[in-house]
Amino acid sequence: MHTNSVICADALTVRVDDRTLLDNLNFNVGKGEVFALLGGNGAGKSTTLKTFLGLMKASSGSATVLGKNASTNTNDVQKSVAYLPESVTLYGHLSGLENIRYFLSVAGVDKTDEDIFAALRKVALQENSWKKALSNYSKGMRQKTAIALALLRNAPVLFLDEPTSGLDPAAIDEFNALVSELAANGATIFMVTHDVYGACQVAHRIVLLSDGKLTGSFERVADTPIDTEAVHAAFAGRTL
Amino acid sequence: MILRVANTICAEQWRYWLRTKVAATVLMLGAVLTLAALVVNAFHIEEAAHAREHLQHKAEERFKAQPDKHPHRMVHYGHYVFRAPTPLSVIEPGVDTYTGNAIFLEGHRQNSAMFAEQRQSAGLTRFSSLTPSFLALVLAPLFIILIGYGSVSREREAGTLTLLLSQGTSRSQLLLGKLLALAAASAVFLMPLLLACFYVAFSGESASLVALFSVSYAVYFLLWTVVVTACSALFEKSSASFTILIVIWMSACVLLPRLGSSVATNLAPSMGKLEADFKVEEKLRSLGDGHDVNDPAFKKLKQDLLAKYNVDSVDDLPVNFRGVVAQYSEQRQAEVLSEFAENRMQQELEQAHIARQFGWLSPTVAIRSISTVLAGTSLETHHRFLREAEALRLEFVQGLNKVHVEKLDYKLDMNRNASEEAADKAVVDASNWALLAEFKFEPEKSAVRISNANLYFLQLLFWVGITVLLLRIAVRRLNP
Repeated sequence: MHTNSVICADALTVRVDDRTLLDNLNFNVGKGEVFALLGGNGAGKSTTLKTFLGLMKASSGSATVLGKNASTNTNDVQKSVAYLPESVTLYGHLSGLENIRYFLSVAGVDKTDEDIFAALRKVALQENSWKKALSNYSKGMRQKTAIALALLRNAPVLFLDEPTSGLDPAAIDEFNALVSELAANGATIFMVTHDVYGACQVAHRIVLLSDGKLTGSFERVADTPIDTEAVHAAFAGRTL
Repeated sequence: MILRVANTICAEQWRYWLRTKVAATVLMLGAVLTLAALVVNAFHIEEAAHAREHLQHKAEERFKAQPDKHPHRMVHYGHYVFRAPTPLSVIEPGVDTYTGNAIFLEGHRQNSAMFAEQRQSAGLTRFSSLTPSFLALVLAPLFIILIGYGSVSREREAGTLTLLLSQGTSRSQLLLGKLLALAAASAVFLMPLLLACFYVAFSGESASLVALFSVSYAVYFLLWTVVVTACSALFEKSSASFTILIVIWMSACVLLPRLGSSVATNLAPSMGKLEADFKVEEKLRSLGDGHDVNDPAFKKLKQDLLAKYNVDSVDDLPVNFRGVVAQYSEQRQAEVLSEFAENRMQQELEQAHIARQFGWLSPTVAIRSISTVLAGTSLETHHRFLREAEALRLEFVQGLNKVHVEKLDYKLDMNRNASEEAADKAVVDASNWALLAEFKFEPEKSAVRISNANLYFLQLLFWVGITVLLLRIAVRRLNP
């Protein structure tokens, strides 16, 4: 394990029945880094995410977050991370405000209403929608609510599952700006996505995943975003 | 910490139910139905208790108020005995609803429910009447399923389960929260029942017995709560958990109790009413006609009596020979009737015992056995009522026969049909009717009833073990 790594996959292998879902993954994600795991459908992105969240167990090797093994110290790991699911799955019968209060409560995080209002303002969720049932929210509004929840968790590590899927371009820009701001403030961000363009815009590093194996890696140099064309070609299996 | 998170999850589940009109309607409907059944049944039982007490008193008064009569006419005049409902029959009417509570006692016959509806007597299932126990044992689990089948699977389907677990909520905390919520919902159905138990505890029933009765029902409700929550956690889709739970409900509450009755009647078959009546009649005919002193069946009796008193003719006997024959005949008839009745009761009990063994396969059968035994409305209690009624019948009929033997002149008796005047002379004084004893049937003492239910408590305990195991599996296998 890398000494400064916040997230570390060390020969991580996950098998379910006879199928190998993840095969000997090795990578480290440092503090303040935006790390994107890029892959197509069935590549193993969600399995990787679930393994780091402790929702699936490693068959061999390890998945560690802040030095804690997600398979054995699941509760500790879950307390220190915030997770943003792909289709933001909050409760439709509750308002955005009620959803946040509920999830903070089960996570054991005490926040005042003022803290929650501040987080909702930070993610730019319109104030008149805070007390409306989530079933009336657009996908972008749900996404913002979930991000506000993640912010309120004060978690040093954020796991994002297809964060920009279904968002309109303006919402994607807003989201990318927020992710960059969080990373600049020291948060470590691990996202899984199949959105090459979005990943190149925001990630410091992109790692390609195919059939449960790592097949390539791209790194941002200084402030220049990663070359979309190169990543796209590698993702599609073409040579430039 | 575990409880704090579980409470939060429980409160959220309730908020969901209250905001979802379907769940709130089911909850309301269940509570109203239970309450309505209890109130209706309580009024009915209260009314029946007063009516039976009044009728019992009236029947005794009417018997004793009869004028001077021939004692054998009083034997056929007969008498009614009534069984007052037990306090807990407000909740559990048990076999009372189909065995009846009144018996007409008369000479030469055992008029009782024991020769009626014999094949149903071992049945622990009754689906026709909306009694509180039927609601609690059969319908309440259905309501619990309707409310709770999606409590965990809904979270999985909506994707909120992943988010919940990723917040550091443990599987045990999540299931405990869901369990608490469903237990509180089932308490909505249980509460009217417990209130009724509380009322019963102040109506002359033993407090410890009522407490045990209430706890058994609470455990039964908890069993269903655990089963519903565990299935909801074990199956990926709400539709799958609903289907499985309905199959479990059908098996436990409908099919297995019915199967138990069918297996019991097949393993321990009993005679039908007609067949039994014919056999009794045949046997009774062989005993001779007690109204005819010249029947050959009483030849030896006559000889023995003449020899005993050293006389040549029954006219010279110091006792009324007709009365002696009636007394002798009644005794022998009673022995035959009791033999058939005891056989019948034995068969019914055998059937009931077989059917109750199905409590190892269905908790509904186990709790129904506990319920009827503790409430004093079981088959055993009914049999005791029949035996006590028969003892009273034989006592008063033989008492009248004794009056016939000792207080009515034989010649006047034999001459009773000669004229109206002769008939008026062949009577005894009405004061003799005071021999009728007061009848008051009491169910077994609470300690006896509790001890009789021991096996069924074991069955319930067995089901507690099974559901705890199921819950552990659900906790282990709960995955988003």
